[in-house]
Order: sequence, then structure tokens, then C-alpha cells
Amino acid sequence: MKLHFADYLIIFIYFLFVIAVGFIIKKKIKSSNDFLSSGRNIPLWITSLAFISANLGAQEVLGMVASGAKYGIMTVHFYWVGAIFAMIFLGVFMMPFYYGSKARSVPEYLKLRFDEKTRGLNAITFAVMTVFSSGISLFALAKLLEIILGWNFDLCIWIAAGVVMVYTFLGGLTSAVYNEVLQFFLIVLGLSPLVIVALQDAGGWEGIKANLDPQLTHAWKYMGRAEDNRMGLNFMSLIFGLGFVMSFGYWCTDFLVVQRAMIARNMSAAQRTPIIAAIPKMLMPLIVVLPGVIAIALMSPALQDKGFAIPTDASGGLDYTMTLPSMIAHYYPSGLLGLGITALIASFMSGMAGNVTAFNSVFTYDIYQAYIVKNKSDNHYLQVGKMITLFGILFSIGTAYIAASFNNINDFLQLVFSFVNGPLFATFLLGMFWKRTTSNGAFWGLLIGTVAAAITHGLTIAEGKGGWISPMFPITSGMGQAFIVASFSWIANFCTTILVSLVTKPKSDEELKGLVYSLTEKVYATEQKWYLKAGPLSIILLIITIILNIVFF
Amino acid sequence: MLEKFNQLSIVIGVFFILVAVVLLGGYILTDSLHFTINLYTGVGLLVFGVFMLMVKEKTD
Repeated sequence: MKLHFADYLIIFIYFLFVIAVGFIIKKKIKSSNDFLSSGRNIPLWITSLAFISANLGAQEVLGMVASGAKYGIMTVHFYWVGAIFAMIFLGVFMMPFYYGSKARSVPEYLKLRFDEKTRGLNAITFAVMTVFSSGISLFALAKLLEIILGWNFDLCIWIAAGVVMVYTFLGGLTSAVYNEVLQFFLIVLGLSPLVIVALQDAGGWEGIKANLDPQLTHAWKYMGRAEDNRMGLNFMSLIFGLGFVMSFGYWCTDFLVVQRAMIARNMSAAQRTPIIAAIPKMLMPLIVVLPGVIAIALMSPALQDKGFAIPTDASGGLDYTMTLPSMIAHYYPSGLLGLGITALIASFMSGMAGNVTAFNSVFTYDIYQAYIVKNKSDNHYLQVGKMITLFGILFSIGTAYIAASFNNINDFLQLVFSFVNGPLFATFLLGMFWKRTTSNGAFWGLLIGTVAAAITHGLTIAEGKGGWISPMFPITSGMGQAFIVASFSWIANFCTTILVSLVTKPKSDEELKGLVYSLTEKVYATEQKWYLKAGPLSIILLIITIILNIVFF
Repeated sequence: MLEKFNQLSIVIGVFFILVAVVLLGGYILTDSLHFTINLYTGVGLLVFGVFMLMVKEKTD
């Protein structure tokens, strides 16, 4: 792939604008709260788009296109079974506690609801995981640009990290959030022409259906038995593992995304942030799943004259990760190619900046201020927050090089991440809705849940991964294995938390006011217009989601 | 004028208008960028960029 001057110009304009946003926001940063929490003053449309953009990193964009090619339209379950329901639950039921408790972070909520050790456990694991995720995102960007454009790997790492560092250092969370909105539009508008021309080339949806195995064009029809579909899952495992445990665990407890709703101007806007975000999220499969399905259709015998093929890897199998870059190379001429490459760069930078800003908030508030240096001036914590941003970027660069040295470090870290995130939702669910849940129950539940995840992974094997204790239970796909691991870890956490809570002393009702559903005064929306209320919006979204599932059944 | 850049919608609008100008300018002026898809995308981005500027004016 060779770039024209116009392609470089578009990439340059993008870098110029994201850095300019940092300089514009810099003038507004007066306190640590402005830098780390945006002073809770961001308009709803921005928090909503930033909410989904923080999740629209490289792993999401390249990974979902790859899954679309590998598993077909079933990949939409990540959206229409997973994300939408979880985002609505977060908005309607959980935001009142996150926002109403005045906690500045998810770990800080855990401290208020439970105790310091539960907060510490969550803060440390989250900080480590975000900085590693950021580094892996950086590594993936540099590797991709090296492969498809022949650019120097080291230069890509340092330039991309340098640009993210400049705008996050200058403007903190606000700068990252503003750029996430720009990046969101860039990703959507930069990849939309690809979907349109490739879909036309494949003969439209009818042409795709005519040329593909029906397993790849139906979301539910082949989910009755695990043997009938490529994920190797039946619908019960999918609904519980993905739809409940993994999706709710991620969307409702991961500070990276929850932080975007916590910076809204008021409770009503905070509640509506994930609900408004669910609208574009519902349509994202058009941009990130459909291209994968089209790519596989284009490789069918009837469409081979189109000349498109997904590259193969060293083992001779299809390298699904390269599906999107190879489609961009195939369909985009000079000019538009620059836009497509910029969209890919934006997705990597959005993911990296999201991780870095979540990392510096948690590190400053929940580790530095809580354990290392307490009771200093606000300016002290502002300067520390800025320094932590620099260290976060440098750690990310370090982990990018570690990732470059080990073939399987990404898989390993994603696995550890699922061990930590999988059971976490049980802790929040019980903590927010059962006032009897105790601090010891939450702490031991989290630990046992994580151990259960490790044991389940050790006893199952899929695509050569897992089974390190004994490969007793083979599973068809790695994705199916992840759902099952998450399910067992959630159940272990849920049961342990209940059992330990029943034999330990809970906090008093007075201490739990505003933190637990039954002890919190219900706030009803003051907006008169129905479309400004979380409830009616949620019901409409749920109905549309169910209709989409039926249409693609 | 520079004050207006405090509004995110203005920043986004100007960004997409500039990208549209690169695509449309390239389509009109050079053979190496003379592709229909560049024209359509350039027009689409231009419309979106102008829309973002107007959203700002309306909310003001």
C-alpha cells in the first residue's frame, strides 16, 4: 500500500486537530478535579459519544471485523444481546449510585460501599490492566502500520504515543473526551464508504446470503445446539456468559467507560449518557461486523472475480485480524486511503487515551491520594495527575515493546483481564441491591471469583489455549471458552459473597444511604418531555433491539 | 473567531470540511485522485462538516 501526498495531508490534519484540542482545553484546567474528572461539566451529547468511543479502540474495530469474518452475523450478539441491555441497566439502575455517591471513580465507590481493601484490590488490578491495554493498543497500531505501509515500527510507537501524550497532558480527561468524539465521527465516516462499496460489490445483503453458509447470516437460528454454530455455544451459554456476565461486567463496572458518564453535568444527564450512547452502539455492527461478513462473501467461488482475499498467516489459515486493513487497501484509492488509515489510527489513539486517562484518575485518587501522600493541596494532586499521565504513556510504550517481544502476551493479558472483570459485576450487583452484603463478603467474593476463573480456564481447552491444569473439557472457540470462564467466575463470586456476608457484620443503614438501592431516596426525572427521560428512552431502545434480533434471526 | 474553537462542534465541523476540501480538491485538480468514491465521500464529509457548524450556530 502506497500513500499519496493527499493521504499524508489528511493524517497530518488529524494530528494537528487532536493536538489543537489539547491546547484549547488547557486554558480551562484549573484544578485536579478539572484535569482528572472534567469538573463534571461535560454536555450530554459529548459524554454519550465519548462513552462508546472509549470502547471503540483498535481491539474493538479490528477485532469485531475479524469476528464478523470468522463467526458471521452472530458477532452482533456483542451488541444486541450484550452491550445494549447492559448500557440501559447502567443508566437506569447503577448511575444513581455512581453519580449520587459523589465518588470520583469506581474504586472509590467500592470504598464508600465496602472498605479500603476492596477499593485497593480493584484500583491496583484496574491500573495495571489499563496501562497494559494501552501498551498493547500502541503495539498493535505500530505493527499494523509497519505491515501495511512499511513504516518504521519504533517511529510509529513514539509518534502515536507522543501525540496522545501531548493532548492528554495538556487537557487531561476533557481533552481525551473531546478527541474521542472527533475520533468517533472519523471512524464512522471514514469506514462508511468501505461498507457501501463492498456491500454493493458483494451484491447487497441478498447476494451475501446467496453466497454464504447460512450459519454466517443468521444470528439465532443455529444457536439451539453448540455443535451447529462456529462459536460452539448454545443460546443459554451465550445469554448468560456474554449477555449477562461479560457485558454487564464490562459496561457496568469498567471505569474506562463508566468514567464518561460520571463527568456529566447532572444526575439526569449521567443516567442518559449510556442510554443515548446505546443508539449509535446499536448501529455499530454496520461499521464493524458487516465488513467482516462481506469479506468472507467476497471470497466465495461466485465472487472470486472481485479479486479480494483475506491474507493468510504463517500457519496458512486466514489472518482474520487483517480483514479490515486488507479491505481498505482493496477498495480505497489515494485520498480516501488517507481517510481510512486515519480512521484506524484514530481508533488506536482513542483506545489508548481512554486507558491513560482512566489510569491517571484511578492512580491519583485511589492509590496515590489514598495510600501514598494524603491531605496535600489540590495543586499538588493536579501536578501529580499530570506526572502520572506522562508515566502512564511511558509505561504504555514499555508494555508495547514487551508485547513486541512475546507472541502471546496479548492473549495472556486479555485472559487476566477477563479473570478480573468477569466476577466484578457480582460484587456490584449484590453491593448495590442487597444491603446485607458485607465488606468481607465483597473482598473474598472477588478473590474466589478470580481463582474460579483461573481454574475453569485450566480445565477447558479451545483453539490450543487453556487446559493448563488438565484439558478435560474441549470447547470449539476461544470466544466460547471466554464466556464459560466468565460464567463460572461470576457464579463463584456471587455465592462466596452471599455466604461470607451472611456470617459477617454488615454496615449500618445510616452508612449505606445513597449507596444501596433500598436505602436510597428515589429521584424521579424532572424533565417534562418523554424523550428526555431515561425510562421511556430505554423502553424504546429495548423494543428496537428485540426487533433487530428478530429481523436477523 | 478563535473563541469559537472552544466549541467542539466547530472543531469537528472545520476538521471534516478541511478533509473534504483535500478530497474534492484532489478529485478536481489531479488525475491520481480522480475517483468517483473520492467525490462522493468528499461531498458527504462537506455536508457533515457544514451541518456541525450549523448545529453550533443554532445552539448559540
